[in-house]
Parts: sequence; C-alpha cells; structure tokens
Amino acid sequence: MAYRHFEFIEKHAWTLGILTAVMVSLGGLAEITPLFMEAHAVKAPANVKPYDPLRLAGRDVYVAEGCYLCHSQMIRALRFETQRYGHYSTAEESVYDRPFQWGSKRTGPDLARVGGKYSDQWQRMHLMDPRSVVPQSNMPSYHWLADEKIDPKDIQARMRVLRELGDPYTDADIAAAPAAVKGKTKMDALIAYLQGLGIKNEPQPPDDGHEAAATGAP
Amino acid sequence: MTTGWSIWVMFLVVLNMGITFFLFLWAPHAKVPSRGDGTTGHAWAGGAIREGLRPLPRWWIVLSGAMFLGAFGYLWLYPGFGAHKGKLGWTAHGQLAREVAANDARLDPLLDRFRMYSVEQLAGDGEALQMGKRLFEDNCAACHGRAAHGNQALGAPDLTDHDWLYGGTGKDIVTSITHGRGGVMPSWSALGDTTVKDLAQYVLSLSGRPHDDLMAAVAEPIFKSTCAACHGADGKGNQGIGAPNLTDGIWLHGGSLEAIETTIRGGRQGHMPNWDRRLDADDIRVTAAYVYSLSHPGHGDAD
Repeated sequence: MAYRHFEFIEKHAWTLGILTAVMVSLGGLAEITPLFMEAHAVKAPANVKPYDPLRLAGRDVYVAEGCYLCHSQMIRALRFETQRYGHYSTAEESVYDRPFQWGSKRTGPDLARVGGKYSDQWQRMHLMDPRSVVPQSNMPSYHWLADEKIDPKDIQARMRVLRELGDPYTDADIAAAPAAVKGKTKMDALIAYLQGLGIKNEPQPPDDGHEAAATGAP
Repeated sequence: MTTGWSIWVMFLVVLNMGITFFLFLWAPHAKVPSRGDGTTGHAWAGGAIREGLRPLPRWWIVLSGAMFLGAFGYLWLYPGFGAHKGKLGWTAHGQLAREVAANDARLDPLLDRFRMYSVEQLAGDGEALQMGKRLFEDNCAACHGRAAHGNQALGAPDLTDHDWLYGGTGKDIVTSITHGRGGVMPSWSALGDTTVKDLAQYVLSLSGRPHDDLMAAVAEPIFKSTCAACHGADGKGNQGIGAPNLTDGIWLHGGSLEAIETTIRGGRQGHMPNWDRRLDADDIRVTAAYVYSLSHPGHGDAD
C-alpha cells in the first residue's frame, strides 16, 4: 500500500462511501448475524403457548396503538429491574411474539410482567381515562377501543398466517376462534392480553419460576 | 454459540482490528509527496485553503495506542472474541446474582429484626415504614392512591380511616395482601325499580343522612330479609365476607343517592389481586405495617 492508493480512495467519493460502509457494518455483522441466523434454535418451553384468539387480537391492538412507543416489555438482568418488575425477560418467552415487543423506550413502566398486577376493572378504567386511577399519569386515553368490535373472520386469517410461520395452532383452535372473540371489543382483547403478560402466556398464573420474582434472583 | 459462528465473529474482529491497527502503524510513516511549501498540493477555494503536511501529534498517537491496548485487554478479559468466555468469566446473569446476594446481605440483618416484631409493632419502626412506603407506592398506589385515600370509582377502599372491610389487624392486612380479596355484591334489579329506590332511602337512613322516611320504612323489612344476610340486620356489615358497614358514612363505591341506587341495581364486583406472586413474606409484612400505620398516626411516637 502506498500513499497513492489512499489518495485514490479520498478523491473518489463512491469508493470512500462504500469502504466506509464496509468498515461500519463489521460490528453489526458480528453482533446481529449469528443471533439472526440462530433465532430458529430458540424453542418455546412447554409452558409457553401461542396466544389464544382473544389475547392475539389484544396483542394486535397493542401493536396497532403503538403501546411499544412508551412501554417496553423487557426486564433487563439488573437488580433494580428484577426487584421492581420480576424475573428478567428471556428469549424463550417471546417465541410467539411477532414482532416481539421488547423495546427500550420507557415513558411508562415496563409491562413484561404486568399481568395480574391490577384488576380487570382497573385496566379498563385506566385505558378509558388514565387520570381516573393515576392522577399524575401522562398516558393518553384509549376510550374508543371500547366501541370497536373484534372481527372474528380477521382473527382466523391471522391465526392461519401465524401457523404458516410455525405457531402450533390446530384446525380446531382456528375453528373455535370466532366463538372466543364473539361480541368482544378491542378493549376486552387488550385487557386480556395485558392480564396475561409475563405469566408465561397462560391466562391463569402458574406457580413456575415466580418464586424468583420476589427476590429478583435468577 | 456454534464453532462456525464463533469463527465468523473472530474473523470479523480480527479483520476490523487488523485494518485499523495496520493504519495506525503505517500512517505515521507514510511517504506523502510534498510540494516543497509544506503542503500536499491539494487546494480548495482557488488556493485559499490548502492541505498542510504535519507529523501526527504525539498525544494523538499515544491515545490511539492506548485505545488498542484497551480493546485487546477487553477482548481478553470479557466475552466478545467469538466463543472466548473471557479471563474474568463475566456474565450478565452472574453479575445480577452477585448484586442480588450483596443486597440481600445488607437487608438480612434488617429483615431478621423485622421478623421479631408483629405487624402492629413494625408500624412504629421508622425503617420498616420507609421500606413499606416504597413497596406501597410501587404496588398498591395504582388503586388505593399514593396517599392511600382509595378510589370510589374503582371501589378501592380508603386505607387511612378506621373502617375495614376484611379486618384491620396486622394479620388481617397481611392476609388481604397475600391472597387478595374478591368482593361480590349481587344485582338486585330483580326486586323492581321502586324497591331499589326505597332501599336506597333506607341505606341513607342507616348513616343518619337526609332521606325519605316513608320510602325507608317500606324498605326496612326488605333490607332485613334480603340485604341483612351480608350487611347484618343493623347494617354494620360483616368483615368475614367483606360486606361494608353501611352505618358509618364511609362509602366504598360512593355515597350519593345515585351511587347507592346504582350499587343496589347493578351489584358490585371488587377485586384486589393477590400479591404472593410478586412480594415475598417479608415484603408483605412490611407493606402491611405501612398500611396499618396510615390509620394509626403517631403509632410510632410511643415506641
């Protein structure tokens, strides 16, 4: 290498741009590609189930309303997080989240394990008018969700797509979906989704792994 | 991490560090053609701006060299170079476990002391109250409010008065927090709207509020045969099932005539979640002590 080679790079903007991009992407290639290519190796533990139809609809409401813009669903492996929110988040928990809702933006609190922390009635009041239960809250009201019904046909289509992607929905699951969301509003669905968060995707809290939640131990 | 991906990462690290290190070693000695006037001959703005030729400052070379040493040291000590775990064996989960253990070690003497006292006694302990307040604000305040005055729209009781739905001893409060509570009042709309309105007048009369005597008198036998099953013949409630006392002027879901009628007509569902999944026994006792202290101000002064 001699000076003239570098002079060539300096004097040709495209060459300089391309070589800069190559150098800058080395870090990303090292950090992202292995995890990206190995993602399929993360398997759901026995207690992590695909979303039932109502919670799946609620999840889509959560994503559509952009809740992730203010709420993360990722408890980091740091003591002051595990002590407040419970056991740190694991990749296995989010296998059926497409896209996952981990995030890092916390204008509001982390919601990874908010399921069961408040009553359904509290969640409803909070979504209708956050100030009615938390006077200092700056969260917007989502009252219109109570007026919009879930489309049963649509939820079946969503389940079929997820099955294509690998979620183990059976034909019976998909056939039963319209009955499960019949007459439910987006509000009902979102509350069902929130109330299941962090309790291993089960509507009822099982006793697994949560003895650690109180102490923050892994 | 598989061997293949480990090699991939190592390759990229070596490539990146290799290129930059080569430039670091090569650049200070590069032969740059000079124009004799101390410039490279590169000129801009009609010669007003020219590129000078100076050796790299020593401080720049020293700092850059230190950064390479830092990078090599980091990759040697910490995970980063492929599957190499690092000399220190550091992991995020290991660090968390150490920090939790260190925090537990600091808290243990305090918790050992707390365990020697009843909840009522803890309510007079400054350190227990400080800890309880934190836990209350993070876990309980969303429904009961930061000042613990409750929320009638939600049916979350005021915790600062002496009126207890399920009992106000330390033990009762611990039970409420640990297992949660579910209050159920059925709907009485089947009695007919006239009866509902009469009953509301009678309920008003129980706490000595202005009411319609005639309507209340009509409703009295109905109250005694129906509502009394939970609220008691005298309307003083039943802490065993969480039926509120209707005679004390303290209202769970609102004490306006309209609110009382709504309650009778539609019934009420109260739900306090259980906290045994989120808080351990020590946390719950400390939180209970804080709650107890709210309705026993000055409790600690006698300590």
